[in-house]
Amino acid sequence: MGMPPHSAANNDELLAVTGLTVSYGESKVLFDIDLSVRPRQIVACVGRNGAGKTTLLKSIAGFLKPLAGSITSDHTSLVGRKSYDIAKMGIKYVPQDKKVFSDLTVRENLELGSYATKDYNWDRVTDYFPKLKQLMGRKAGYLSGGERQMLMIGRALLGSPKVLLIDEPTEGLAPSIVAHLRSVFAELSKNTALVIVEQNLPLVCAISSKVYAIKEGRIVAELADRESIKADVCERYL
Amino acid sequence: MVKVFRWWWGILLAFSLLAVSRVFLPLPFINEIVIFSIYTLGCSFLLGRVGLISFGQPAYLAVGAYATAFYLFYFGTNPYIGILLGVLAGLVVSFIVGPLFVRLRSDYFALVNLALAVIVFYLMQKVLAGITHGDNGLWILTRISSTPVLDLSRPDQFFIFALLVALAVWAFYKYLDDSIYGACCLATKINEDKLKFLGYSNYSVRLLAFVIANTTTALAGAMYAVYLGFVSPEITSPARAADPVIVTILGGAGTLYGPIVGAFAYTGMKDVISKLIGNWELFIGFLLVFIMLAGEHGIWGTLQPLLEKLLFRKRVTTGTADSEEAHL
Amino acid sequence: MDAQLLISGVIFGLSIGGIFFLMAIGLSLCFGLMRIISLDQLLYYSIGAYITYSLSLATGSVWLGVLAGCVVAGIVAFAVERLIFRRIYERELTFSMITSFGILIGGIGVIKYFWGVVPRPVSVPTMTQFDIVGTEVPVYRLIVVAIAFLVYAGIWLFLNRTIIGKAIRAGIEDVEHVEGLGINVSRLFTITFIIAGTLSGLAGGLHAPLIMVDPQMGLEVLAFVFMVVIIGGLGSIKGTLVSAFIVGQVVSLGSILYAPLAQMAPFAIMLVILLIKPTGLYGSALLKR
Repeated sequence: MGMPPHSAANNDELLAVTGLTVSYGESKVLFDIDLSVRPRQIVACVGRNGAGKTTLLKSIAGFLKPLAGSITSDHTSLVGRKSYDIAKMGIKYVPQDKKVFSDLTVRENLELGSYATKDYNWDRVTDYFPKLKQLMGRKAGYLSGGERQMLMIGRALLGSPKVLLIDEPTEGLAPSIVAHLRSVFAELSKNTALVIVEQNLPLVCAISSKVYAIKEGRIVAELADRESIKADVCERYL
Repeated sequence: MVKVFRWWWGILLAFSLLAVSRVFLPLPFINEIVIFSIYTLGCSFLLGRVGLISFGQPAYLAVGAYATAFYLFYFGTNPYIGILLGVLAGLVVSFIVGPLFVRLRSDYFALVNLALAVIVFYLMQKVLAGITHGDNGLWILTRISSTPVLDLSRPDQFFIFALLVALAVWAFYKYLDDSIYGACCLATKINEDKLKFLGYSNYSVRLLAFVIANTTTALAGAMYAVYLGFVSPEITSPARAADPVIVTILGGAGTLYGPIVGAFAYTGMKDVISKLIGNWELFIGFLLVFIMLAGEHGIWGTLQPLLEKLLFRKRVTTGTADSEEAHL
Repeated sequence: MDAQLLISGVIFGLSIGGIFFLMAIGLSLCFGLMRIISLDQLLYYSIGAYITYSLSLATGSVWLGVLAGCVVAGIVAFAVERLIFRRIYERELTFSMITSFGILIGGIGVIKYFWGVVPRPVSVPTMTQFDIVGTEVPVYRLIVVAIAFLVYAGIWLFLNRTIIGKAIRAGIEDVEHVEGLGINVSRLFTITFIIAGTLSGLAGGLHAPLIMVDPQMGLEVLAFVFMVVIIGGLGSIKGTLVSAFIVGQVVSLGSILYAPLAQMAPFAIMLVILLIKPTGLYGSALLKR
């Protein structure tokens, strides 16, 4: 498996990762990763469990400190910054654990999202996820998996982030909710770039304009346009 | 033959040094050090090798000490039997409280042991004052009979006894360290889940470690009783709860000789500092924080890798082709 | 046991419970949010007591002393958090235990340096007795209980009605998620630590008139405070209130019944509870990070 050609550095790059190497304690998990995201692009990262996809997102979001490499957004380096500073810069991470603050109500969960970003306009959130309007007073611990996912994404939307790093959003969700998310993502990408880690290939096939395949900590394939995605992902595997 | 020699050589060296130090250090000082080291060894093992911290080691010290004292005060005069009983008492108590304590998360474990130390304190001080004579303590010095071979009532002969016991204890711990069980201990500290998946029970590993460590502590208590000829509840008072932990960190948790180095440093420093500035707490408190922030290795913990590098390198250059690295 | 003894015993137990509660909240919050065991809270307790002593001596007002005690304790806590705890949040639990213990011991040394080793008395701010159903009860103890309840109410309001309080509750569940929303958790930690230290200082200041103030006082109550926290369950405020109440009553009423056993009874209770529920009454099992 040869190394894919490096993407040409682009001036309107929203997020640029070069040579990223990350380790968890003693063991190396990511090797020399190169990745780039343009504004309003939907980028998918696919790969097996344990390939390092979550590690990648977490490193970009500032939860893990890389051994080597650079991560920049709009010409500002992200490496070494605190995760909450990076979130405030407009790069928000939505983890895969479907965890919300269960002891707080849905409203309070959103309040926390507004607190740091000073964005109290929840209309956008409820436009995407009307169900949340009805659930405002309910304790988040009582939400179903799909509702939690909606709350997590909704929360992250506050502050109008420029990039959302979403980790396995459709995992364990019913097809109807997946379909809903799919249209939400498509809508979102009109304003926000999305980097989605997914095992759900039909979804990847449907909405992404760039796909990275990660295996054992390395990028083994990069498909940078819809044609190659159609050919290599949709037709081959589905 | 060469391998056996190497396995022993660290321990022999350490204890020879200790024996030799008898020449230029006061006897009470080094007797105290030896017993204190055994006391700390249990704590160090638990913390450094198994990952369990206990603020309640004095409880087991008291169990051993009082068991020995009771025997010598009320029943017999043979100090060897007394010490043996002290160790047995420690063993029994460990087995009783072990199953409950070991199940707990690390912070609860530490505090629950502290609670035990306080319970034992109050037990000995007030509740059982009838037989323990409360704060007045049990005086057994005169009750210790001379025994053949080594007369334990004489400090210089006691020192020889203590040294031999310590030697045996350290040999035992070294053996544990190098065995599969030793590896399990480290594994349970570093990564519980992996150990579980390998088929071992974290709980059993910890329970056994708990029993071993606290029996060792009880042994130290028993020795204290015979050496000092006196036991009082003070040894397990709340103020004393931290001594083993401090000495452990000072020396380097989990290292084989950390307790000895730590005991030396602690006792020595305490003497000197108390005379110099009188405010021992200030010094030891900040020293503890400093050590923790600087990497928590302690004195021996920092020296050991340096020494090993020195010796290992030397061995390679002299051409002795042996893959087994003797760990100090 | 006659009614008078019972009533004064209950009040005594409530006041002791109140003081334990004030200290235990700090410990519980620090653990819940920052995953540290802050044994140095006992130091802020001592500082509160000593400042109360000095100021009451200087100004003649004990209440002023208590107030000053809180403030100074809070300031010291802030300093310790910035200088030391900031560096060790990521480490495992035992690390914070040992380090905070070192701070406690070192702090005791500082106290010894300034005030010496001789125990000091602090006068009770009000000697009046209050009549409850025929029993003379010291008003001061009632005031202590009242303050404890006020603090509970205050903490409840803070955690449930303010955004920072909600952020703290969220952080107790999952700090990473809070960070991910852009909230400065470092500041949250500092705020929580200062609250803990101030409350511990308050506990020390309130306790001072009831006991003799001496450098080791922190160590003497250490075991009891931790017992309260363990029985209640680390991380739960309600649990802390309940268990402080229980322990207070057990110590107080127990000592009327049979003194030596009273000191030990709380420990026995703790062991029993841990047998049944290894994380305490209200503690949750989720707490390993």
